[in-house]
Amino acid sequence: MKQFSYRHTKEAELMDSVEAASKNASSMSEDELFSFAEFNAEDVERTGYSNYSYWRSTFQAFLKNKGAVALLVLLGLLLLFTFIQPYLPGQYDPNMIVNDANGMQYRNVPPGDMFLLGTNSIGQDLWARIWAGTRTSLFIGLSVAVAEALIGITVGVIWGYVRKADFILTEVYNIIDNIPNTIILILISYILKPGVKTLIFAMCLTGWIQMARFIRNQILIIRDRDYNVASRCLGTPTWRIMMKNLLPYLVSVIMLRMALTIPAAIGNEVFITYIGLGLPVDIPSLGNLINEGRALITSPALRYQLVYPTIILSFVTISFYIIGNAFSDAADPKNHV
Amino acid sequence: MPDKNIPEKMLTVEDLEIKFELRGKTLNAIRGISLDLYKGEILAIVGESGSGKSVFTKSFMGLLDQNGKVTAGKVMYYGADDGMPMELTALKREKEWYKIRGHEIAMIMQDPMTSLNPLKTIGVQIMEAVLLHQNLTRAEAKEKTLKYLEDVGISHPERRFYQYPHEFSGGMRQRVVIAIAIACAPQILICDEPTTALDVTIQAQILDLLKALRHKYKLSIILITHDLGVVANIADRVAVMYAGDIVEIGTSEDIFYDPRHPYTWALLSSLPQVGVKGTDLFSIPGTPPNLFSEIKGDAFAPRNSRALKIDFLETPPYFQVSPTHKAKTWLLDPRAPKVEPPPVVEKIRNGGLM
Amino acid sequence: MLKYLGKRVGRSVLTLAIILTIVFCLLRLMPIEGYFPNFEKMTPQQIQVGLQEMGLTDPLPVQIARFFRDLLHGDLGTSRIYRANVPVTEVLSDKVPVSIKLGILSMIVSLCVGLPMGALMARYKFRFFDKLGTLFIVCIQAIPAAVYYLYIQLYGTQLLDVGLLFDIKNPKYWVLPVLSMSLNNIAFYGMWLRRYMVDESNKDYVKLAKAKGVSEGGVMFKHIFRNAFVPLAQYIPTAFLNTVIGSIYIESLYSIPGMGGLLVTVIKKHDNTMVQGIVLLYACVGVLGLLLGDLLMVLLDPRISLGKKEGDR
Repeated sequence: MKQFSYRHTKEAELMDSVEAASKNASSMSEDELFSFAEFNAEDVERTGYSNYSYWRSTFQAFLKNKGAVALLVLLGLLLLFTFIQPYLPGQYDPNMIVNDANGMQYRNVPPGDMFLLGTNSIGQDLWARIWAGTRTSLFIGLSVAVAEALIGITVGVIWGYVRKADFILTEVYNIIDNIPNTIILILISYILKPGVKTLIFAMCLTGWIQMARFIRNQILIIRDRDYNVASRCLGTPTWRIMMKNLLPYLVSVIMLRMALTIPAAIGNEVFITYIGLGLPVDIPSLGNLINEGRALITSPALRYQLVYPTIILSFVTISFYIIGNAFSDAADPKNHV
Repeated sequence: MPDKNIPEKMLTVEDLEIKFELRGKTLNAIRGISLDLYKGEILAIVGESGSGKSVFTKSFMGLLDQNGKVTAGKVMYYGADDGMPMELTALKREKEWYKIRGHEIAMIMQDPMTSLNPLKTIGVQIMEAVLLHQNLTRAEAKEKTLKYLEDVGISHPERRFYQYPHEFSGGMRQRVVIAIAIACAPQILICDEPTTALDVTIQAQILDLLKALRHKYKLSIILITHDLGVVANIADRVAVMYAGDIVEIGTSEDIFYDPRHPYTWALLSSLPQVGVKGTDLFSIPGTPPNLFSEIKGDAFAPRNSRALKIDFLETPPYFQVSPTHKAKTWLLDPRAPKVEPPPVVEKIRNGGLM
Repeated sequence: MLKYLGKRVGRSVLTLAIILTIVFCLLRLMPIEGYFPNFEKMTPQQIQVGLQEMGLTDPLPVQIARFFRDLLHGDLGTSRIYRANVPVTEVLSDKVPVSIKLGILSMIVSLCVGLPMGALMARYKFRFFDKLGTLFIVCIQAIPAAVYYLYIQLYGTQLLDVGLLFDIKNPKYWVLPVLSMSLNNIAFYGMWLRRYMVDESNKDYVKLAKAKGVSEGGVMFKHIFRNAFVPLAQYIPTAFLNTVIGSIYIESLYSIPGMGGLLVTVIKKHDNTMVQGIVLLYACVGVLGLLLGDLLMVLLDPRISLGKKEGDR
């Protein structure tokens, strides 16, 4: 009984919907409605296809992150300014000790008209020193990041593709990975003459292996994924597989690693300088400046000598960190709609 | 007085709609499904991947992903201990679902290799279910667990109890997963592609096991699969799903011997068992429709070489073929031109499936 | 299992030997003034005699062999400048307890704060607490430690009303160093536990556990947290051993008489044998930590005990 009544209501509904259908489609006669439609095989296959470009999507996704874009612009301006600052009128030399009319040094002059950010304990202009220091520190950071990426990617690709190299490089990795990074840094800085080159060398000595290891693992994993094997079977040239299938996976992490290496390298410079193995004071760096400022920590009036360098340092490292993460998110194909 | 001839309903779904929010767009995953599940039956839901089979059944357990919502319709459950009907779609809080999950409705997932916790012994994992749903002491629960292991055909249960999932083969792991489901003592068992990840030889064993367990534990089973071959062996009723809707539903005989919807025809035609040696296997042209946009008319029409013009304009209603069998296609409308089912249907009628 | 253990331990011993040799050879390049307390006043002959007495003019392989022989007897050489003619091991034994105490305190703080933080962040993913935690982690990672250590010292000492110089007997003085040391590790544990827990919570077995009717808290704790903690546990032995060598930066910042501060002091004083002793200790701790971490994994993850690296799947 139940089912019978159910049928009835369904039938009634059916009649309604048929009527509605004919009303809606009043432009067509009933006969025409129930005639066969044209079938176009090509149209069918077109459904669900989207035109997708990896790099365009990456940049679109990145541009959507307003904060990161703003930081990128600011960072670019900062970088530009470190280069043009020495050529601006009325700038002091970062290492020049400024004397007044009586031949007395301008020691610990607070920020003001004459010295924008004041002077340090021996009468050097802090403004000029901070920009020179930023230049040095950024140079160290960028050099380390680029060097690590270049060495790391090259070795990583060889490691992943040349089977004979795998054993040796894995052993090298095991050894290097076992030594704490700090030790290498300290040791190299202790043995070699302090200087920018020494610092870059010491930081690159171990950093590349992590990048290489990562590239190697990704190559091993991705190379034998089914879609790549399929792609190879279809005769896709190796470079195309590299560019289209491999690179998008790697770009996001390579960029992230590079972006994080820069602040890490700058931080390491500060650390090495702090323990007394860093750059000599006549090469201003953020590490040097912070170290000088730290010595004055007990007198609140002189704290500006610590605060300004740390502000610049924090801005640079935070920017790189956020931009790196934003770009890495944007470069990850999983985050593309 | 309930009529003896009308089977008792366990679950009814009425005009269920489920939508997902995906990066600002709305995906219409389930588009107004109505369905009944009767006590003790095996109901198979068949469809291509992406047709919404899993999402549909997950909504019975409140296991939809965070961005998925039931936007219309309701699901009623009639098997509760107190005999009161429960409206599952009205459950809001996680706590309310605990009474349903496992206890009333249990689930078996597709890939046994990943559905067990790799760091716990299988004994502990089964016992967890027993302790949750049956008021037993630990010792009794262990006893029960060993019995379940035996029930699902695992030899040496005492030894196996202390082993980890990685010590089991795929088929064995699926048996363990089934044991976990049974250990919850549920009324309804949802099997989400339980054999897809397994070897063909193992598939039959698992299906036989499910059949046996259904009688032993008086289960109603919903079997989700994309393989009509699996369905033929085991299901009492079959629902064919396409693009988030059930386009045809009927007993196994109805669907295999008297299919009416062009999509069902296409599915049957693409069964490897009915292919003719030397000819290409039939494949359905195109891909399922994009569920981000509203679908107008019959969702299958664009892929149907013999679609009617009305298929592109109006969604067909259900046409009742027999008391147990109905299909959503304009071909069943009295005004429609007569379209012969493809030769494969005749072939199945004559020769059976195998 | 035993075979795996044997192999793993043997490997570590070999690695350690190689590393020690490399480090030892590198240390031979140290400036020679670091071997004499009054280098400037010495004549070249005196220096030559002095180097010969210390065996530093011998061929390198001989020196290496002697070094390992002494090492097995627990002899790390003698300090020349920092504390003239006192064995390095004796100098270190004074300093190690302080570093260990500081390190263990900070380890306890890091774990007790970092793990709950990570777990709560994963539990309330994308909600307020998660965003707050992420902000903290980003700050800790993006701002150089050198900077925030300084500011903690600067304002913390005022806030707690303690002096800049460390007083080992006054518990109040321990607060800031322990806090500074913990921040980075809190961020580390929090970030990774959150990530691992989010990864785990998307796995099928978690869905099955939920379908089984396990409560949300039960799934979080018994399944997700436990499994997500296993990869983190690997770092705990290293963290523990690292307490022995202390934190270079913090110890010298607060003038804490521990190992880390010692290294900075002896570097500034150019005491070669002391630098060598401490550096070697660092290397040992690194290797040993990784070894213990791997062994701990064998205990925690049943899939590894078969000697396979990954188990199957």
